[in-house]
Formats: sequence, structure tokens, C-alpha cells
Amino acid sequence: MVQMAGSDDDTETLAQARAGDADAFRRLVERHSRDVFRLAYRMTRNEHDAEDVVQEAFLRAYRNLDRFEQRSNFASWIYRITANCAYDSLRARDRRQESAHPMTIADESDGPIPELPSEAPTPDRLVFGGEVRRRVALAMRRMSSLEKSAFTLRHFEGLSIEEIGRALDLDASAAKQSVFRAVRKVREALGRDPGLRPTT
Amino acid sequence: MSHPSEGDLILLYYGEAGASAAVEAHLASCPACARAFEALRADLSSVTEDPIPARGEDYRETVWRALQPRLGASAGARPATRRAVRWWAPAALAASLVAAFLAGRHFPPRPSAAPIPEQARDRIFVVMVGEHLERSEMVLLEVANAEGNDPVDVRSAQESAENLVAANRLFRLSARRAGEPGVATVLDELERVLLEVAHGPSQLGPDERAQLRRRIESGDLLFKVRILESTMRSKEKQMAAVPGTAS
Repeated sequence: MVQMAGSDDDTETLAQARAGDADAFRRLVERHSRDVFRLAYRMTRNEHDAEDVVQEAFLRAYRNLDRFEQRSNFASWIYRITANCAYDSLRARDRRQESAHPMTIADESDGPIPELPSEAPTPDRLVFGGEVRRRVALAMRRMSSLEKSAFTLRHFEGLSIEEIGRALDLDASAAKQSVFRAVRKVREALGRDPGLRPTT
Repeated sequence: MSHPSEGDLILLYYGEAGASAAVEAHLASCPACARAFEALRADLSSVTEDPIPARGEDYRETVWRALQPRLGASAGARPATRRAVRWWAPAALAASLVAAFLAGRHFPPRPSAAPIPEQARDRIFVVMVGEHLERSEMVLLEVANAEGNDPVDVRSAQESAENLVAANRLFRLSARRAGEPGVATVLDELERVLLEVAHGPSQLGPDERAQLRRRIESGDLLFKVRILESTMRSKEKQMAAVPGTAS
């Protein structure tokens, strides 16, 4: 599992924090805040939301220090909490947008995404001019919060399906299907028709 | 085996443990599936990451400053945090007041151990939010309304904006939790612009200032901030007229 840079010092610092030493918790926050932000930003793709996630993740960690399992490592633990908070943030964002624009949020079905307004892509256009990036960004916007979270954790963070399930409190099957749907949306946005498969 | 599904190919691309060796064997003997896998590989390889906004060395302290007041009184009374506490103390107090003030409108009053009388506490809150909005408005005006064609140094405004962001976040979260979406929305919009200022370049050219000005004007942000500020000031006057609330 790709995770944040931990430290041998974490074990001792964490024990002090669990014993009520707020200064020790401060050291953990300072040690991991940039990595937490990086993950939060990757998942939310929004600086403002990522900052909220950073705060919420550390707050949640602080409140649950007594539940932390000694055999785990703090970096992995705060990583999972951050992923979960970012997922919550994406869901909240979806809900807000849905109430404002009921027809604009992607559902979690396998339905095709609409045709792109621009002309059909050529390889040159896709490689050059940031067209790929634009289309991937469009696909990400069309993903549900779950698909977006699962895809980010799989594609950019390198988590396995099983690890994604644990981070997002899902069973592995749901995590896997979310990644599949997300990949399909990315490929559709890139102009590929994933349905074209050889028949048996 | 039958042709693998797209899901099988995705699992194979990502090197998932569940990807079957049989799929790989199939690809070796089936040109159509091999082409499908290559197409998938090409597509997913083209999905690269957008740059992640940089966070400087002082970011760790910024996170802690914003977090500390939310952890409770036990968190951090150490000398190294004195500077932060100086400006955070009113913000932390204000945050609890925000929650109490707004919650008081929705729930029946209950006994409290708070040493500040409820009415006085509410008035302090109103004053602090009003001042917060006023300071925010000044920062926005300072940055957006600078004239001339030369770049303008906005480091001072940036520092103010960074401090205001942290306080604003507390107000906003408290307002949202207390079921005040209107207040929370204005503070949310304000926070986004303050963040842009705080994390933007320290020298703003005319184009950048114009862009920021458009950003502020597009959502009538200044107007909304002024209305909210005016509401707070009116409330403050009403409270001052009630015996026992003057500070």
C-alpha cells in the first residue's frame, strides 16, 4: 500500500499523544500534514475542500486516539482517515450540487456518458494541447463520489482493490465495480468505446 | 478460456492479485484481446496527474494553528504557540459563541457552566463576526482595487487573509452545524477568495488584480459580505440597547 512517509518516532510520539500529551499530537500533525494535504487534494481536486479535509482528518484522528491499534502505524491510519474524510467531502459536494442542479450529478449506474461537444479526437489532438487532460477532467466530473474516490486511490495512489475497500469502508466487490465504472467513464471520455470486445 | 472481460483487463493492468494468469495466457494467443489490452493500457497510461498545489515549510504550523482550538482546552499551551494563540484566542472563543448563539435559536436553553452570561456572550459573538467581515472586506478591497500598471506587493494582505481564513473556517463550520446555510454559504464564498489571496502570488500585476476583481464581483461577494456585516452591526446595536448585554 502506498502510504505517507512514516517515522520510527511516530510510535513513541503516538504513545505520548494517547496518554494526553497534546504537544505530542502537535508533532504528529506537523510531521504528516503535507502528506495529508496531498492525498486530500488528489481526491477532492479542490484546494479549499482539501484544507477542510486536512482539518477534519486530524480532528477525527485526535478524537479516536484511544481506538488506535498499537500494531498499526500512524501514517497508514491517518491515510485511511484522510481518504474517508475526502470521500465524505466529495459526497457532501455532490449533495450540494444535486440540490442546486438535480440533473448534473452522475449516478452510480453503468449508463453511457453523453457525447462530448467537441469533434472526434485524433491521436494528435489527444496527445497535444492538453486534450487528454481536459477529457479526463470531464470524466472525473461525471463520476460519482465513490467512483472518483476509488479511481483516485487505485490509479494515482496505487492502492489495491482490497485496500480501497478498507479505506472507504466498502466491501472489495463494491470497490472493484467502482473502479471499473470509473475506468469506463475515462475511456468513453477519451473517445474509446469500451464495449467493443471480441465475442466468445 | 473465453475472452476476458474489460474488468479482467483492468485488474491485469493494475497488477491486482486477483488478475488471473489465465488472462495473460489468453492474451498471448488472442490478437484481438491483446489489442484490446494495449488500447486499455494506452488509455490509462495517458491519465496523468495534475500538479498538486505546493505547501511551504510553514504549512505544518498553519494546520496546527487552525486545528488547535478545535481540540479542546487540553491541546497545547506551549511557548512555541504563543504567537498563534494571540490571534486565535478570540477566534476560538468566537467559534464556541457562534455555535451557542445559533444553536440557541433552535433548541431550548439549558443550564450551562459557561462563565459568560448568555446575552453578553451572544453580543460578543456578533461583534466578532462583524469585525471579521469588516477586516475581510478591507483585505479584498486592498488587493482588488490597487491601481496602476506596476505589480503591487500584497504580502501584508496575504498575511491578513491567511489569518482570516482560519477564523472564517471556524465561523463557517459552526454556522453549518447550527443549521444556518445562508450564513455558511456567504462565509464559504468568502473563504475561497481569501484562500486565493493567501496562496496566490505576493506580487499582483494589473491582469491578476483584474481577474481577482472579476472573481469577487461575479458572485456579488462584497455585497453579500456587506449585507451580513450590516446585519451583525444592527444586531449589535439592538443588543446594546438591552440591559445586561453592554460590554
